[in-house]
Amino acid sequence: MPTETIAPAQGIPCRDAALFVAQLDRLTSSLWEDVSDATPEELAWQPAPGMNTMGMLLAHIAIVEVYWIDRGVRAVEPVDIMAVLGIGMDDDGIPLRGDGPPPATLNGKDIGFYDELLVKARAHTHQVSAQVNDADMEREFERKSRSWPGSRTSNVRWVYYHMLEHLAGHYGQVLMLRHMYRAQVGARG
Amino acid sequence: MGQVYRTLLGSHDGYASAYVARIAWQMDEQRRLVLEAVRDLSAAELEWQPAPGMNTIGMLLAHIAYAENHMVAVGIEGHPSSDTKRVIGLSEEDEGMPLKPGDPPAPALAGKELAFYEDALARARAHTHAALERLTDDDLTRVIVRGGGRREFDVGWMLYHLLEHEAGHRGQIQVLKHLMRATRG
Repeated sequence: MPTETIAPAQGIPCRDAALFVAQLDRLTSSLWEDVSDATPEELAWQPAPGMNTMGMLLAHIAIVEVYWIDRGVRAVEPVDIMAVLGIGMDDDGIPLRGDGPPPATLNGKDIGFYDELLVKARAHTHQVSAQVNDADMEREFERKSRSWPGSRTSNVRWVYYHMLEHLAGHYGQVLMLRHMYRAQVGARG
Repeated sequence: MGQVYRTLLGSHDGYASAYVARIAWQMDEQRRLVLEAVRDLSAAELEWQPAPGMNTIGMLLAHIAYAENHMVAVGIEGHPSSDTKRVIGLSEEDEGMPLKPGDPPAPALAGKELAFYEDALARARAHTHAALERLTDDDLTRVIVRGGGRREFDVGWMLYHLLEHEAGHRGQIQVLKHLMRATRG
């Protein structure tokens, strides 16, 4: 059995950035092993009105990764998610309003659709990270949000950390949705 | 002018490795978010189960504490086994995971208040800090062999796993809170 390790991602000269990207790659590999057999019905299943589906979470992971790489690492504003992924910033439907259903943009999408989003987002991350140097990791930038007043100052190193914990958190939610789907729908099927 | 919040990735003083010191900061930031997510939850909410056989928020908190203490003992310090009952007051049996289909929540956690879980988490993290402070960069590639050779990983991988493990369960706690509000009002 090979030794589990985190080796810096190839093609990224900045070691700290390369280690973060290696962790993203490792975690996405695990995520993919866990979801690759999900059907369109399961991907669109909502445990209760107003709650996220697996498909929404997978699209959200890809969108947010592109957002942070472009806004935080490339320092681009506004960020053009559509140019990278072929879907827009709000097409994951997150956050759902009230007791809303899943977004129509994701109706009937199969796992191949989400795989393509994740692959495109990660290729973008590798491409941009290849240009990052050690000094860039400490570069600060200011951002505003629709969700809170004022502004927030972050640095590039925090962006990489946040992409990792963001992916991990939603991966945990995807696993939970699979468990619930099998317990509730699988038992009836 | 509105308030400016600063979210910069930080570090901890007194660590032998700058890399490990930053990982420790990330773990503490994740813990802050976990505790923020469960703040004000009652004992009844902590043991609310969406369906038989599914984890409760209390079980997830106990599991985070147990798993961290176990993984640091065997996966970083290199001990053949852990002694979580002594260090954090919880054993693997106490946290109750994984539940079998149809099982109720872990009996050892019945009626426990948030302070119980906060204490276990704090004790686990104190042990973790003590272990991580000593790690050097050379330690990151030290290989740990478990299960009679069925599993191998290095210390650097274990640090990655500690962070993503807690973040994953934090995500699940958020879903449980949402589901609890949706179904109980």
